[in-house]
Amino acid sequence: MTIVEGILLLSLAAILWRLLAGPTPWDRLLAYNSASNRVVAVLAIAAVTAGRSVVLDVAVVYVALSFLGIVVLARFMERGGVNR
Amino acid sequence: MIPLILAGLGAAFVLIGTLGILRLRDVYSRLQASGVSDTAGTGLILIGLVVWKGWQPHDATLLLLLVLLLFTNPIATHSIAKSAFTRGHRGEPE
Repeated sequence: MTIVEGILLLSLAAILWRLLAGPTPWDRLLAYNSASNRVVAVLAIAAVTAGRSVVLDVAVVYVALSFLGIVVLARFMERGGVNR
Repeated sequence: MIPLILAGLGAAFVLIGTLGILRLRDVYSRLQASGVSDTAGTGLILIGLVVWKGWQPHDATLLLLLVLLLFTNPIATHSIAKSAFTRGHRGEPE
């Protein structure tokens, strides 16, 4: 499980490059979606490994908030920014 | 043994998705890579964590997390794709 966690963290570091250098804003939103998925998986593995089930509640709230943020940002960019 | 196989398979899906996000050529291809493989990879890792060490009280929370991810991840991917397409962004031609 530690190896899986290491693979997830390396993948998260690689995703952050797309988040910084994505050509379009949708690339950055996509990278944020993928990064939040990896963060949730790392949180779940850390919670089960350490035996602290409070961290799982943190992961549930993280999923809900990142989903809300992604959908709201996508709607915002679909309507064309602050001028519409 | 079975939890490690499931989690390893999930990690392989996540690695393939990362490769796709870093290497593919436009937004829609990257959405295809990230949306499918992230759902499969994170779901497999969570199933591996559920069956690890037998039944424990926090496994219900893990199943809730799995259901939540299975619902929200395709919706977020579809929302990003619809946003890009509505704003007139077209993919690179072959």
